Amino acid sequence: MAAADSPSTALQRRDLCSRGIRLAGKMRADVVDLLDAYVEQQGLDASASMAVVEGVPLAAVERWDEQTGTQRLLENLAAYRAFRALLAQMLEEQREQLGEADTGLGRALAAVLLQVSAFAYHLEELLRLESRGIPGEEEEEEDGPPPPPRLSLFEQKLRGLGVLRELAQWAVRSARDLRQLAKPSPATGTAPGLAENP
Amino acid sequence: MFSRWNWVACGFYLVLNICSPDASGGLVQSCGHIIPESPVLALGSNFTALCILNESCLDFGNIYANQIIWKIKNRVVPKEQYREINRTVSSVTFNDTSSLATPLTCNILADGQIEQNIYGITVTVGLAPEKPKNLSCVVHQVSRFTYDMNCTWNPGRHTFLDTEFRLRYSWPEEIFPDCIPKGVNNSCTINDIQFFVNTEIWVEAANALGKAESDPLVVDPVDIVKPLAPQNVSVSSGILPTVLKLSWENWISDTVMTLKFNIRYRIIGDTSWMEVPCEDTASPRTSFSVQELRPYTKYAFSIRCMKEDGVGYWSDWSEEKTGITTEDQPSKGPPVWRIIDASHSPASWTVHLMWKALKPFEANGVILQYEVTVRDKSSPSCPLKKYNVTGTNHTLQLPKGTYEVTLIARNSVGASPPSVLLIPASNSKAPVENLRTLPKHDKLWVGWTAPNNYVLKYVIEWCLVSSSSDCTIEWQIALGDVQGIDLKGIKPFKCYLITVYPLYADGQGSGQSVKAYLKQDRPSKGPTVQTKKVGKAEAVLTWNHLTVEEQNGFIRNYTILYKTIDGNETVVTVDPSKTEYTLSSLTSDTLYTVRMMASTDNGSRTGPDFTFTTQKFGKGEIEAIVVPVCLAFLLIVLLGVLFCFNKRDLIKKHIWPIVPDPSKSNIAQWSPQVPAKHNFNSKDQMYPEGSFTDVSVVEIEADDKKSFSEQDLKPFDLLKKEKSTSEGHSSGIGGSSCMSSPRQSVSDSDEGETTQNTSSTVQYSTVVLNGYRDQTPVQVFSRSESTQPLLDSEERSEDHAGGADSTAQRQQYFRQNGGQDENNTDRPCFERAKQVTHANEGDLVGFVQLQVSGQSSQPLGLGMEKNTQEAALSKVLQTCTEGQTVRPETVEENPLSVDDMPKSYLPQTVRQGGYMPQ
Repeated sequence: MAAADSPSTALQRRDLCSRGIRLAGKMRADVVDLLDAYVEQQGLDASASMAVVEGVPLAAVERWDEQTGTQRLLENLAAYRAFRALLAQMLEEQREQLGEADTGLGRALAAVLLQVSAFAYHLEELLRLESRGIPGEEEEEEDGPPPPPRLSLFEQKLRGLGVLRELAQWAVRSARDLRQLAKPSPATGTAPGLAENP
Repeated sequence: MFSRWNWVACGFYLVLNICSPDASGGLVQSCGHIIPESPVLALGSNFTALCILNESCLDFGNIYANQIIWKIKNRVVPKEQYREINRTVSSVTFNDTSSLATPLTCNILADGQIEQNIYGITVTVGLAPEKPKNLSCVVHQVSRFTYDMNCTWNPGRHTFLDTEFRLRYSWPEEIFPDCIPKGVNNSCTINDIQFFVNTEIWVEAANALGKAESDPLVVDPVDIVKPLAPQNVSVSSGILPTVLKLSWENWISDTVMTLKFNIRYRIIGDTSWMEVPCEDTASPRTSFSVQELRPYTKYAFSIRCMKEDGVGYWSDWSEEKTGITTEDQPSKGPPVWRIIDASHSPASWTVHLMWKALKPFEANGVILQYEVTVRDKSSPSCPLKKYNVTGTNHTLQLPKGTYEVTLIARNSVGASPPSVLLIPASNSKAPVENLRTLPKHDKLWVGWTAPNNYVLKYVIEWCLVSSSSDCTIEWQIALGDVQGIDLKGIKPFKCYLITVYPLYADGQGSGQSVKAYLKQDRPSKGPTVQTKKVGKAEAVLTWNHLTVEEQNGFIRNYTILYKTIDGNETVVTVDPSKTEYTLSSLTSDTLYTVRMMASTDNGSRTGPDFTFTTQKFGKGEIEAIVVPVCLAFLLIVLLGVLFCFNKRDLIKKHIWPIVPDPSKSNIAQWSPQVPAKHNFNSKDQMYPEGSFTDVSVVEIEADDKKSFSEQDLKPFDLLKKEKSTSEGHSSGIGGSSCMSSPRQSVSDSDEGETTQNTSSTVQYSTVVLNGYRDQTPVQVFSRSESTQPLLDSEERSEDHAGGADSTAQRQQYFRQNGGQDENNTDRPCFERAKQVTHANEGDLVGFVQLQVSGQSSQPLGLGMEKNTQEAALSKVLQTCTEGQTVRPETVEENPLSVDDMPKSYLPQTVRQGGYMPQ
C-alpha cells in the first residue's frame, strides 16, 4: 500500500475514482427517485421516521476528514456489501409481495442493486490498487451480525425505507470519499488510519 | 435352378426383413445401417460413410458388401469411391462434401438385378461460424431514467446451418444474462444498462460445426450514450432586433452526465442551416441567446446534445421551433427605374417611376410607404416635389429636362438610405458593347462589355416578345463592376427582348438590345404554304411567317419539299426572311405536292401539304396559236372579199340576171307615137304639149305629192340617180317584187278577178318613178303586201293633205286620160282587161304589180266587186274607171317576145288610149 504510485496506477485510480463519484451521484439520484416511488407504492409517509434499522450501516461518522483513504474504502465496501444484501432481500420480498405486477419498482430496485454492486466493485478495484487485500464476504458474514429475524410486512416496508434512505446518504458520503481519494495528495497512500482500523 | 430359387427366396427375405414388424419393437428391421447417422459436415471437407450389413441378412439372403451400391438422391455414386472393408462393410468416400446431397443411401443389388435399399441418412453440409467482427454498441436513452444498449456486429459468412448468436456482457464480478437476437443475427439490445462500470461485451456464435467469439468490447456504457434531444425548446425575441433567445430542457440529469450542445438555425424558407459555434455551447446549459440575426426575420431553431467530454454520440436534432426578430430600419433604398413616354406632348414627358420592393432582409420590417422626391436639376431654384406612395410605382408629368429622383422606403422603425435616379434629357452616353446571352440551366445569363467610362450600375430590361400583346417590361439593376447577370423566371421556348442601359454619374447610356431564348424547341407548327401563281414550269409559293409564339426558337431556315405523286421529293432551303419562293423546272400539267418546314436549332416542324397542278400551256402559248389562226382566217376572208369584189360582175351576172333595157326593146321602135329615143331626156320632149294623146299616164296614188312632184320637177336628177332611186323605192316591196313575186304577180294578174274576189288582202303598190340606167323613169308600180286595209280617213287625209296639187294633177291626168277615154270608149272594159293581162305576160319590164286607182272601177272590176277598199276608192276614182281602156293592139304585139326575154310581169292597168313603152 505504501508503494509509490506508478503513473498508470495513478491514472487508473483517478479513472476509478471519477467513475465511482459519478456512479455515486447517479446512485443517489436514482435512490432518491426510488424513495419517492417506494413510499408511494408501499403506502408509507415520506416523513416517517424510524429508529436505526438493524444491519444497515450508518453513513454518518465522526471525524470523517481524519480518515485515511483505505479506511474510507473499507468502510464503503462494507457498507455497500451490506446494502447489496439488503437490497437483494428487499427485491426478493418485493417479488413475493407483488409478484411480477409492479415491474417498475422492482426494476428500479434491481437497477439500484446493480449500481450498489458496481460501486462495490469500484471499491474493490481501488483497494486492489492500494495493494490492500480485499476482505472476503464470507468471512465478513461469519463475523458479522446474524441474519435478521423474520419481520412483519410493515416492518419489511419500514426497513426497506430505511435502507434506501441510508443508501442515499451513503451515496453522498461515498462521492465525497472518492473525491478525497482522487486528490493527488502525498498522504493518499500513507493511509494513516489503516493501522488503526482492522 | 437352385440358384434361381435361392435368389427369389433371398429377395423375399429382404422384403420381409424390411417390412415386417420387428420383435424388438421396431417397425423395420433393416439389413444394415450407415455410419455416421445424419452427420453435419463442413462444406468442402472430405467425408466417409460406412454401410454395415447385418449378419442375419448375410446368412439368409446371401448378400455381401461387394453388392452394395451408394446413391445420392437417386444418383449412383461412382464405384471408384467405394471400398469394401470386409464382407459386411462397404465405405464410400467423398473428397468434397459440396458434391453431397440428401439422402445418401446404401443399396444392395439382389440377384444382380433387383436393387433394394438398405439404409439412408440425411447429410447436412454447412460451415462453422466465423468470428463476429466489428462489434459496436450504442446506449440509447429511452426515457429520463432508462437506457438501452444496442450492439451490432458483422456475423461473418453464411453458414447454411442454424447458428445461434449471443451478445454477452459482464462485470468482473457479475455476469449478466445473455442477449439473444430475435429475427436477426447481427444486433441485439440490452435493457437496463448500468453506467460507470466498465462492462465487457462480446458476441458468441455457435452452430453444429463450431463456435466463435468476437473480440470483447470493454466500455463504460456511459461513454457510448446517445442521449435524447433537448425537449420543450422555445424561442423568444430579445430587445435587440438581431437577437433571439433559445431555451430548452434536458432529459438527462447532471448526475448521470453533463452535456454540451449544438444549436443550428435557418431563415424560414431557406434550406441551409447555420450553426452557433460549438465552443459557445460546450458547457451545460438550458438556454442560449443567438446573435447576429437579421431584423424582422423568421428563424427556425433546432438543438442537440451529447456528453460534455465529447465521448459518446450526439443526440438527434430536436424538433424545430421558430421565432421572429424585431423590426429595424431598412438597410438600403429600393432599386428604382423609369419608363419615359414622350409621345403625348413634345414639350413634356410622362415619367413612369417604378421600383422594386425591398427584399425582407433589406426592408427589416413592413414598409409602410415610399417617399418620392423630384428635383429639377436644370433649375435649382425650383422647389422639391415630394410624393408619398404606398405602391411601387408612380407616374409624373414633367417638362423635358434633367431631374434627380430620390426614393426612400420607410417602416415603423425608420427610413432607408435614399435611392437616386437621374432622368437625363437624352440617352447620349456610351452604350454597352458586345451584348450576348447564354442559357445556364433555368437561368439566362446576360453579359456585356463595359464601356470605357465608369459605370455606376446597369439596368437590364427584358420582356416576353408576343405577337398578341405588348411587351411587359421587367427590369433588374446590376452593380457597375459586373459585366453579366443571371435573369431568373425566364420561360423556355419563349423569345425575350433584353436591353441593357449603363447608368453613369451624370447620365444614362443608350440601350443595347438582343433577343434570346432560354431554351429552344422545334416550332409548334409548320408554315402553311400556298401558291400565288402557277405556270407551266414554275410556281410561285407564298407563306406567312410563324408567329413568335409558334416559333419556339430562332427560325434558321425554311425548307420547301415538293414532289410529284410518283416522283422523288425535292428539297429547297429558303432564307427565313423570305415569304415567297418560285419553284422552277416543273413538269407541265402535273400534280405537285408541296409542304414547308421551319427549322430552329432544336428541330423542325412541317406544315400541311398543299397540292397544285402546273398548267398545260405556258404563258402566251395559247395566244401564239390563236392569234395566227385568227389572222389567217381574216386574211382568207379578206382575200375572198377582194376576189368577190373583182369578180362582182361575174357574180352579179349569176345572181342578178341582166335585165333588158326596155328602151332598147323593139316596141319602142315599133310604137309610132313614141317620140324619138333621144328626146326622152327632156321633160318638154317627154311631155310635150299636144302629145298627151300618145302618152299613157299612170296615176300614182301611193306616194306623196312631194316625191311625185320632184319626179316631175327633176327628171334629170332622177336620171342621174337612176340606180339608187330605183333601189330606194323598191325597199321592202321591190325586193320581193323583183326577186320572188313575179310569178305570184303573174298568177295574181292572170287570176286577178278570182284572187281579188276571194282574198281579203289588199295589195298596195307604190309607183316607182325611176328608170333603168339612162332610161326615162317609167311609172313602175310597186306592190305592197301589207294586209292593213286602207282607211277612208287615210285616203281622205291624203287626199286633203295631198293638196290641190295631186288633185289637180290627178284631174289633169284625168283630163288627159279623159281625152283618151273619149277616144276609146267604143271598147268594152272587160275585153281590155283581158288583153292587158296578156300584154303583161309578155312585158319584159313589169316587175311591179300595180294598183291603179281606177283598177277596181265598176266596169273593170266585174270580179272584184267584193273588194271594199277598192269599192271605196272607186268613189274617188269613179271617173277614171270609165275611161280606162287597154289597147288591144298592144296586147297583141307582145306575145312574140315572151320566149326570148326573161320574164317580168307588170300587172299594170293601161290607161285607155295609150301604152307607154318603157
